Amino acid sequence: MAVLVTLTNWLLPLLYLGLLIDYGTTFFLRTRTASRNPLLPVVLVVHALFLVLRSIHEGRPPMVHGHEILSILALSTAAVYLVLEIAVRDRRAGVFIVLLVFLFQYTSSVFVGDHTGAQSGWARAHIIPAIIAYTAFAVGAIHGILHLLAHRNLKRHSVGVLFDRLPPVELLGKMSWCALVVGFIFMTVNVATGPLLLKYVNAADSGAAQAAWHVEPRVALKIIAGCTAWIIYGVAIAGRSFARWPMERISGIGVLGFAITMIMIIGSAFLP
Amino acid sequence: MKLSVLGTSHRTAPVDVRERFALPAEAARDLLRSVRAESTFDEALVLDTCNRTEIYLVADGPRDCMAYMHEHYQRLKQVSMADYLSAFYCYHDLAAAEHLFRVAASLDSQIVGEDQIIGQVKGAYRMAVSEGSAGLVMHRLFHRAMCVSKQVRTETQLSSGAVSVPQAAVELARQVFAPLAGKSVMLVGAGKTAELAARNLAGCGVGHIVVANRTLSRAQQLAAELLEGELGPCLPAEQPEPAESLLLDGVCVRPLRSPDEPPACPTAGPLTTEAISLEGIPQALLRVNMMICSAGSPDPVLTWENCSRILRRLTKPLLIIDIALPRNVDPRLNALSNVFLYNLDNLNALVTANLDRRRREIPQARAIIEHEVQSFGRWLDSLTVVPIIKLLQQHFEQLRSAEIKRYGHQFSDNEQLELFAQSLCKKILYKPLVFLRDISQENDGPESQAAMEVIRQMFDLDSVDGQNGTPAG
Repeated sequence: MAVLVTLTNWLLPLLYLGLLIDYGTTFFLRTRTASRNPLLPVVLVVHALFLVLRSIHEGRPPMVHGHEILSILALSTAAVYLVLEIAVRDRRAGVFIVLLVFLFQYTSSVFVGDHTGAQSGWARAHIIPAIIAYTAFAVGAIHGILHLLAHRNLKRHSVGVLFDRLPPVELLGKMSWCALVVGFIFMTVNVATGPLLLKYVNAADSGAAQAAWHVEPRVALKIIAGCTAWIIYGVAIAGRSFARWPMERISGIGVLGFAITMIMIIGSAFLP
Repeated sequence: MKLSVLGTSHRTAPVDVRERFALPAEAARDLLRSVRAESTFDEALVLDTCNRTEIYLVADGPRDCMAYMHEHYQRLKQVSMADYLSAFYCYHDLAAAEHLFRVAASLDSQIVGEDQIIGQVKGAYRMAVSEGSAGLVMHRLFHRAMCVSKQVRTETQLSSGAVSVPQAAVELARQVFAPLAGKSVMLVGAGKTAELAARNLAGCGVGHIVVANRTLSRAQQLAAELLEGELGPCLPAEQPEPAESLLLDGVCVRPLRSPDEPPACPTAGPLTTEAISLEGIPQALLRVNMMICSAGSPDPVLTWENCSRILRRLTKPLLIIDIALPRNVDPRLNALSNVFLYNLDNLNALVTANLDRRRREIPQARAIIEHEVQSFGRWLDSLTVVPIIKLLQQHFEQLRSAEIKRYGHQFSDNEQLELFAQSLCKKILYKPLVFLRDISQENDGPESQAAMEVIRQMFDLDSVDGQNGTPAG
């Protein structure tokens, strides 16, 4: 079983690299842009099997450590993108999404270790919405960047390399907006379950001697990251809904919010 | 077999010369019937378009196609080719095949990569088939031409990108909106280019056209004309996929887009139109997704003062294409977030970029054509062996019949003897026939000619009557 898990762990980045090359070919050669990629569902199935195998091997769901979260994030981002690709029948944005997925999974595969760790139900109730939220933010950020690029190209009447290789600007705006809204909803759940999880963990870990709201610096930064994301995306949604902010501004906020959040989360790994 | 093409095109003659030698449908049919009746040439085909008139001829030996056509033009159109010799070109054999492949792949067209020519080539071929003037060589040549055309379109970018202002409008719309189906367009003014662009967009699924004009009655008239008129062709959004194929005499060719074919893009529903006066434009801006402006107005129709406040309220993109001169739209409006404003220069830059991209694909298209020309050449060479094979078969058939006649009475079962003799002759002939076919396809002319000469002398085929295989005399 351990050998199978290890083999699959290294197979996955290669599969995503193959997908990246395929999507890159579509992007640069402008071929098969309106057809679904038959390879993506296959890779997703392999990835899901890998997580199942890992669960069996570790005796717990693989969502405790950073590299495990990254792998789940890679799977969920790819799965969300597959749904989008089927819905909009346009795979020109695929190369950017799959690049992010490949980076997530490659990092996860490289930093995998023989960790053990238990996880409570409260932890899962908190982590799963967080994964969905960050997945949506990642997809939204990618589409937001593409939206800003396409918007700028059209404003400047540019007919360069990107001109007809990017999806339509209206579609990119819609994808960015939908991802932002979905991410905000799940981040709301995440923020709401956070204090409950903290109270439970402190009560279980330290007994009566520890303050109920004691947090480690690493966890504190993650909490700040989640709340920051919630505030930033909330402001963007309110601005669009009530003040009719233009979509390019929303895309810019989405990209900025994702970047700030990721910096905080990655930074938390270096704290005690 | 000798293949020839004689023709005139936009590259060799101006339109006033080309029109003298044009062969529209009935004239082309007359020519094909004459060729069939006179038997000077075995096969004939006429390709007549607005940019070229070409006559393809096949004969079993050298023929003077120029003199032949000179006589026919005198008779059919009372015009002398001798007065316009420099307007004509004439190619033979592989050069003729290469010329046709270049024409079918639209490398010889005024706009490289245009896709109307393949429909015209197909139509010419169909006419020749219906008139009975297309034979073995024409079938092969034109089937291969259509396959070359399909291969060039699918493997290169030669046909991609807009190369006219109306097409550029559709291409821009595709970069902004997804999908086009169900979107609405406002047409300002009565310009032909703008109308063509609107028809192209309607052909791509745009559901509603608002026509704005200085006078409401004129706008209503234009709206009615748009509703009754033909929808424009829809550009493929990407490289053509080898989708559902159109079988042409058993050969797979790319689906062709001709005016009588339905648009490639699905529509959200039936097209609707609406007429408004120029004063109603600002209010209508929030209801449309796109504007095409071509009004002949000395002052801008959309100014910053009368439109910016309304356009700031837009929550969706608005694409404005201003092809009027002087411009109809204040260029400052492009600064608004949801407005994308393109003028004539911007569209021409897009068209120029696409034309440059198509030109960069020409070497790859030429390589495809060159490969196909070589293949066709090998096939053409293999035809020279056909008469020898026929003579050989006839000779052996005669020998078989003569021997059965001589010895058949000594056998009780003549039927079995016939079967035995046929089988023996086939087995003896099998290796020589395969040898002849292979050597004619794989080797250069002199070597295959030498091999055929050996066979001819070995079996004394020159003395065989081609009609029934018996020795002549």
